[in-house]
Amino acid sequence: MGEYISLILGAILVNNFVLSRILGICPFLGVSKKTSTALGMGGAVIFVMTLAGLVTSIINKYVLLKYNISFMRTIVFILVIAALVQIVEILLQRISQPLYKALGIFLPLITTNCAVLGSAIICSDEMYSVVKSTVFCCASAIGFALALILFSSVREKLELAKVPVPLKGAAIALLTASILAMAFMGFSGLGG
Amino acid sequence: MSTFLQKFFYGGIHPDDRKVSKESAIQEAPLFPTYTVPLSMHIGAPAKPVVKPGETVLKGQLLAEAGGFVSAPIHSPTSGKVGPIASCVGPMGNLIPCFTITSDGNDTAAEPMPALDPKESSPADLKKRVGDAGIVGMGGASFPTLVKLSPNKPVDTLILNGVECEPGLTADHRLMLEDPETILAGATACATILGVKNVYVGIEANKPDAIAKMQSLASKYGVQVCELRVRYPQGAEKQLIYAVTGRKVPTGGLPMDVGCVVSNVGSCAAIGEAVLQGKPLYERVTTVTGRPVVNPSNWRLRVGTTYGQAIALAGGVSEDPAKIISGGPMMGFTVYSLDVPIMKNTSGILLLGPEELHQFEYHPCIRCGRCNDHCPMQLMPATLGTTAENARYDLAEAWNATDCIECGCCSYVCPSHRPLVQFIRRAKADIMTRRRAAAAAAKAAAAPKPEPKPEAPKPADAPKPEAK
Amino acid sequence: MTPVIVLTVIGILLALAIGLVLKFFGAEVDPKVEQIGALMPGANCGGCGFAGCNDYVNAMVEGRAKPGLCPSMNKSTLAKVSEILGVVAEEKEPRMAVVCCSGDDNHAHRSAFYNGVTDCTTANAVAGGGKACPYGCLGMGTCARACPFGAIEITSAGIAKVHREICVGCGKCVAVCPRHIIKLVPKKVDVHVFCNSPEPFKFKKGVCTGACIGCRKCVRASKPGQMNITGFLASVNYDDAPDASVVDACPAKCLRLTDAPNPVPVHASAPSLAPTTGKPAPAIEPATK
Repeated sequence: MGEYISLILGAILVNNFVLSRILGICPFLGVSKKTSTALGMGGAVIFVMTLAGLVTSIINKYVLLKYNISFMRTIVFILVIAALVQIVEILLQRISQPLYKALGIFLPLITTNCAVLGSAIICSDEMYSVVKSTVFCCASAIGFALALILFSSVREKLELAKVPVPLKGAAIALLTASILAMAFMGFSGLGG
Repeated sequence: MSTFLQKFFYGGIHPDDRKVSKESAIQEAPLFPTYTVPLSMHIGAPAKPVVKPGETVLKGQLLAEAGGFVSAPIHSPTSGKVGPIASCVGPMGNLIPCFTITSDGNDTAAEPMPALDPKESSPADLKKRVGDAGIVGMGGASFPTLVKLSPNKPVDTLILNGVECEPGLTADHRLMLEDPETILAGATACATILGVKNVYVGIEANKPDAIAKMQSLASKYGVQVCELRVRYPQGAEKQLIYAVTGRKVPTGGLPMDVGCVVSNVGSCAAIGEAVLQGKPLYERVTTVTGRPVVNPSNWRLRVGTTYGQAIALAGGVSEDPAKIISGGPMMGFTVYSLDVPIMKNTSGILLLGPEELHQFEYHPCIRCGRCNDHCPMQLMPATLGTTAENARYDLAEAWNATDCIECGCCSYVCPSHRPLVQFIRRAKADIMTRRRAAAAAAKAAAAPKPEPKPEAPKPADAPKPEAK
Repeated sequence: MTPVIVLTVIGILLALAIGLVLKFFGAEVDPKVEQIGALMPGANCGGCGFAGCNDYVNAMVEGRAKPGLCPSMNKSTLAKVSEILGVVAEEKEPRMAVVCCSGDDNHAHRSAFYNGVTDCTTANAVAGGGKACPYGCLGMGTCARACPFGAIEITSAGIAKVHREICVGCGKCVAVCPRHIIKLVPKKVDVHVFCNSPEPFKFKKGVCTGACIGCRKCVRASKPGQMNITGFLASVNYDDAPDASVVDACPAKCLRLTDAPNPVPVHASAPSLAPTTGKPAPAIEPATK
């Protein structure tokens, strides 16, 4: 149990995907202008990453390791994740229109999200079991969503601030992200 | 029984009060050859003219009748000939329609309305009299008093606002000293109309003579005098209610939501005159003050007297004024013309000299939070200002911009010299326009047959609470 | 060999899965939405009356709106959109905004010095923002900031000017102008009255040297019905516009062509506005900008 708690805490806070591992920066900057869209994106990422963690760890264990072709994992994972997202999108559109509309463009965006691929590769590197992979991916996604929502709240405030003209837009967003990352460094040491 | 400093409201400021004209007795203004009487001297619908151009009218004769429920009639300030309806510059800088009355020099008064007894007459008669006499809130907001005296919620308290917390103004102070009986008669009439027992007179502690005067008559008229702490905006409606009764008006609410009606002492004096003498409201006490004014003094001026004439009465100016303000320095409006007429709500004309007027460039908010400490409505002016500056009026609405009473405390204390009230007013105007449009849309949707009616959202602000 | 086989098998399986899911669970998406969406300008100006381009596309596809409401769409694009929708394109008269005021700093008098928030709506609430004419352009750029296309410029003379070649006639500026002096007019009409004050001649002359004086010369110089005068203000009949030559008739030079500059008066003196006062007139010298 303690193992899982430290795994979850580590994934959410200590080794936060965005702020510590610097993965998934594109959606982090792209959809963090409003807290409402950040919530949508965060939800979508949690959903997809958990699913992707489950599926990729199964494929890793029963296909790649079995046939000893682990060097192929990147291309296989991309293929699997992309197809998975497509299937999820089609199903979602059929099953729940409100949820589909809420997630909107974020679902296809996740296809190319390196955080999803990153989590799958970390799981395979660390030789996590299927359950552990799923838990790890879910926690990582929660960490991603947390960083995204925090950042979007800061950016909403930033919109009202007087920013020097050369720093407007992405520049000040990156500076803010760096300060946020430094704040998250304070978590290192937590959970061993 | 004097109740000293019953409650403190949150925030507020204490500017130098500069009441230099407080020793100057109210003087009667001479008759001027012409008067420019605006058709809209109140909040609400403009009055509808009942006289034709070229007609001869007498002093106190009806010129225009109320143009709706929230409206007030207009009466002639003197006898003479009515000119065609023209336009004149109003205190907001816009052109407003007005009558021009050319005096015949005789100043013949029309037959006054029959006298009523403030205690014994029926509430309906008294109420009709308040409406017929064209009484409006004379503290600054110019809200028709008849509407104020027709609350649709139970009311148990009437508060007379004799606070006059705006620096410089002394009109109400002098009125309380010189004509307290008329004020209290008017208050009694209001109490009869409303059917309330508790009548309070709120006066700031810096007017001990007025307090003593009111105190001496308190038992005769059955009112209680409350000496209030000297702090701006003690005279704002909601702050006054809290200070006197300890009741808090809810967000977006009116005084009647907590069972109170607040009336300015000037309005009460006008009601007193209307009831006792049958005299309609066509003149008021106005303070002409400021450093450039030679003799800062209080004058009983008829509506339609121009600011230039009023300043001339006070001895003219000793130096070129840099700013002319209608009302007090905190909440008054800057006017740019001396042709602006005195209206029913002109409590003062304030001139500022060049060295008194500091022009600042404003700077970004430094988040010191001083405005939050001083806002009597416990809002966050810094946040409101920043949201309005960035045209995020939706956020300003979420931060309750509409509760702002525009007292100016935040701008007064801001170390960055930010025009916070101006920002908030901008946000309020936008919110009000949007709300009106939404209400109109809802109305159109609810109506069975949508009629194409042109909707012109007026940029008028929300009714402002009285602050003096 | 194994990797190739594994990858091929996974690929085929996934493709099959997607295909099957799409076949059995797929919801219908109108391909028109995507096709038309690609043709929209994407400025989300709201000129069509909908909340952005996507909303308008959906409305068009669902038959709630006609094509051609988009002010910035050119004819060929409109034809394509109509073709996709299968309807006949409706011609929309191209329109543009015109700031109907000649009161720049060379012509209009200032009654006071305004020191506050640089925003027309805000300034307008403070004694009219210091401009003596209550109808004049305040020149603080509220319209320029509202324009999604950057078509409005505040000139060095302190007045808003619409650039005809950029303006698409979406009407955003018309809505935000606190003085209601911006008008949407047909782009093909070149003659405009650059004054919006219906006040009497005496008042107008006192506050602005560029104002329409209501002299009726333009009415006489054009065909009947092309120019109208209401009160002291001339107006162009935009359904039957006069020739460009009519502008020569205007002595006040406030009837001008769209892009014609507002001529600086020869004796451009600093506007002095001594208010008419009572007996011992205290001279108010308002600081002029």
